[in-house]
Amino acid sequence: MSAYLNARVSIFSGRLWQPGEFERFIKTPDAEIGDLLARHGLSQLAKGYETPDPVSLVLRVITGWLEETQVLIRPLNGAERRFLSYWTERFEISNVKTLLRGKMTGERPAALIARLIPMGAFGRLDVHDLAHAEDTSELLRRLGAGPYAGIVRHARRAFEESHDPFILDAALDRGYYEGLAHRAQLVENTAGASFRRLMGQVIDRINLVWLLRYRFNYNLPPAQVYFLLVSSHYSLSASRLRGLAALGSVEAIVEALPETLRAVLRGATDLPTVSARLENLAAQTATEVLHSGAPAIARAFAYLILRERDLRAVRAVLRGRQLGLPLADIETAIYLPTEGNA
Amino acid sequence: MFRAEPLVKIRLLMLASEAPDAALELARFGTFSPAQYAPPALTESPADAYREAWLDAESRASKLVERCGSMGELVIPEGAAAPTLADLDELNTWLKGVWGACLSAHEGEARIQEEVRHLDALDETLSKLERLNVDMAQLLREDSLLAVHIGSLPAAAVKRVGEALALAGSLVSTFDRIGDQAYAVIAGPRDRQDEVRGLLSQAGWRELPVPHELRTHPQAARAWLGEERKRVEEMNVRECAAMDTLRGQYRSGLEEARLRVALGRPLAEAASVGVRGRGGLAGLSGWVPRRDVDELKSVLEGRFHGRYWLDIEAPTREEAHKVPSLVSYPGWLTPFVPMVKSYGVPRYGEFDPTLPFAFLYLLLFGAMFGDVGHGAVIMVLAASLLKKFGKVAWVGVAAGAVSTVFGVFYGSIFGYEDIIHPVWMSPLHHTTKMLTLAVSFGIGFIVLTLLVNARNKYTAGETEAALFDSTGLAGLLFYLGAVGGVVSAAGGADLATPSWMLATIGITIVAIYKWIETHASFGERVLVTFIETLETGTNLFANTLSFMRVAAFALNHVALALAIFTMANGLGTAGHWVTIALGNVVIIVLEGGIVAIQALRLMYYEGFSRFFSGDGTEFVPLKLVGVK
Repeated sequence: MSAYLNARVSIFSGRLWQPGEFERFIKTPDAEIGDLLARHGLSQLAKGYETPDPVSLVLRVITGWLEETQVLIRPLNGAERRFLSYWTERFEISNVKTLLRGKMTGERPAALIARLIPMGAFGRLDVHDLAHAEDTSELLRRLGAGPYAGIVRHARRAFEESHDPFILDAALDRGYYEGLAHRAQLVENTAGASFRRLMGQVIDRINLVWLLRYRFNYNLPPAQVYFLLVSSHYSLSASRLRGLAALGSVEAIVEALPETLRAVLRGATDLPTVSARLENLAAQTATEVLHSGAPAIARAFAYLILRERDLRAVRAVLRGRQLGLPLADIETAIYLPTEGNA
Repeated sequence: MFRAEPLVKIRLLMLASEAPDAALELARFGTFSPAQYAPPALTESPADAYREAWLDAESRASKLVERCGSMGELVIPEGAAAPTLADLDELNTWLKGVWGACLSAHEGEARIQEEVRHLDALDETLSKLERLNVDMAQLLREDSLLAVHIGSLPAAAVKRVGEALALAGSLVSTFDRIGDQAYAVIAGPRDRQDEVRGLLSQAGWRELPVPHELRTHPQAARAWLGEERKRVEEMNVRECAAMDTLRGQYRSGLEEARLRVALGRPLAEAASVGVRGRGGLAGLSGWVPRRDVDELKSVLEGRFHGRYWLDIEAPTREEAHKVPSLVSYPGWLTPFVPMVKSYGVPRYGEFDPTLPFAFLYLLLFGAMFGDVGHGAVIMVLAASLLKKFGKVAWVGVAAGAVSTVFGVFYGSIFGYEDIIHPVWMSPLHHTTKMLTLAVSFGIGFIVLTLLVNARNKYTAGETEAALFDSTGLAGLLFYLGAVGGVVSAAGGADLATPSWMLATIGITIVAIYKWIETHASFGERVLVTFIETLETGTNLFANTLSFMRVAAFALNHVALALAIFTMANGLGTAGHWVTIALGNVVIIVLEGGIVAIQALRLMYYEGFSRFFSGDGTEFVPLKLVGVK
């Protein structure tokens, strides 16, 4: 089965965008966009990409990604299958947040449902039923009896005590990534160092970006910031995160990071730059893993990381063109700042 | 019974204000299946708002009915009219109010439950604190430099909270655990309490209010707890009475709401397929059986007195794949319908295989599992399950009966071959004959499927495929020729030359057809034609041999019984009969199950796959259904 998955990943990797291709994409005439997208396996976007509805564009981008994930999951079983399935559940957690926000603002069920990401075979929630809940409390109660009970139960309790939407969102996100790290640990035993490297970068990036956001954008105290981070066994361990949460500036935090991260982030003084550089680092690692002889699950995961990054850029280009933004602005949006140009 | 009823496409135009009643009338009519065929000029969707309002009402009414317990069967009066959009909006407002009242009553109950749990927890906490001999009054002094919190948090979060609290100079110490909740004391400098509070709200911390009464002597605290329990009990009695009052107060209104929701369902359901309109007009479109057209006209005339326009059109051949299938079955055949539908729904115009399936499935089961005793046991078991499984259990009764009949033919009863004389033959003693009969049955079965497929292709307008394809008449010609050739070679007939000529003609026609049908480069055409023509022969050969399993399982039945008798004969009297009894149970459960699956496999893969596309759409009529 791993030979099949490896072959699948190799075939799919031909769809990834190579350096320089986005530059050409931005300048491609309208008439040729469809062909170009179809060449990268995005025929679902090629059809009617000019639709001015941004929600529909996002949903179609995610649907395409989910369909590819489904193909990659097919030959897997056990912990590996559970891990990749759970990786897709980020979008369902995002649906949960959309539902909760919709209920808080009293949005109509039909409008709410139209904004949800169609999860296809990965969907575990009865969104029609949930969208018809009367209010946030009832929605949380129903969610607490569903497949995400473990994630929602804690968030519900925190929300009931505080009635703060930020606390709800943060608790859901943390719950999700704790679950991801746990599932990854089971795969790491068999999938080796390359998979661990990928996962480490996902969790470290999440933790570092959240830490900076909570600490300096929301001005939360160190104790609360630390509590909101994901328990990690990667390079940013619990004790290191505690130390980082207590520091008082971005520069001090960067200086206190392990050498690999410090080298990448040296000179970064704001959150967007940190986030972009970490994402570039994750993409470099994923590219290395994809082109290596790593176990099939690691290569599949690397492909999904890269594909998601590409799709975000494609969406940005299409959206930029729909809005008639200048080419330079679109370029800025998709070319994430690197160490050299930040 | 062998094919779907002829349907016609109808387009009904009426005043938009009468659309709910029109949909209701069509639901009462009972054989209208909505589909989107509205005239292109109707560009609006006038029923979307109706559907949305109905979904809200249905969701609320269902929740309330669920809370109220059983409300009995809903009776829909003969002449009741459908609610308008305004009626539904009004109903929604009322239902929302009732739901609010019910919810607060329900939450009142939940609060009481929580208070009871809370008191239980306090009770336990008190006993623990008593054992620790902690002076609560001292511990919780508000003028102390040390701020202390007593409460609960998820046990899984204790370690993390402890680590985070260390950053704020505080400590956590757990003193009890109930379920997944840990009870803890948190203490730290009072001037850093803002940091601690933020963290605790995030961690799902629930402060355990230690009332004044509990900060005193343990005996006084105990007395206070007793008083509290009494108060909660009284509250509970009051809440129960309030719930009963609410049920009584809203019951008749809820009955009315159920009725309105039921009457509004037809248009809401039709809207999900698409009700189109423009200005003050609305259009409903869909399928009705041709035989019911006149009745439909008189129903509409009686209800709308000419205030409508009805267009009736027969489906064209091109749209046949979109037409739903409506097949009527006699009552005795209906238990077999789910077994056919689990493979697929016949396309409109396609041969419906339910009747031959029923006969052939039972025949195959009986032939493979022929035993008077085992058949009778299956029959009795299935009959006893009639209440539980409904009409599907009749399949078991029929299978048991046929098995019993074949048992008489084979002379077999609970595996014993020497108690009754076989009316026909014993499989064990006529192995070759059994195998020959099974293969002959297979040949007849395959010929039948090829004929049905040719007919299906012809009615679907694929005349060339019906005549020349490998599963059409050319394939049949080849098959009959090949069978004749093989039979002649085995000495069963003297028709070798004409048979092989027939087979050659058949396979040549198939090859030419494949060549014409393949649109590819020369090399690819040669390859596809060669492979597919070869496949025609190998498939038919393999499918025919597949029927040998019928004889094999008939023999297997006897062989399994012989094995059990051999084991039983080596034991004492008690062991002998226990082995016989258990062995028969194994035969019925294990072999019976395998044979049931094998018979189904033969029907699906050697039969249905040859002629039955199974990709039709089921005819789903609009119906009047109450709120569940």
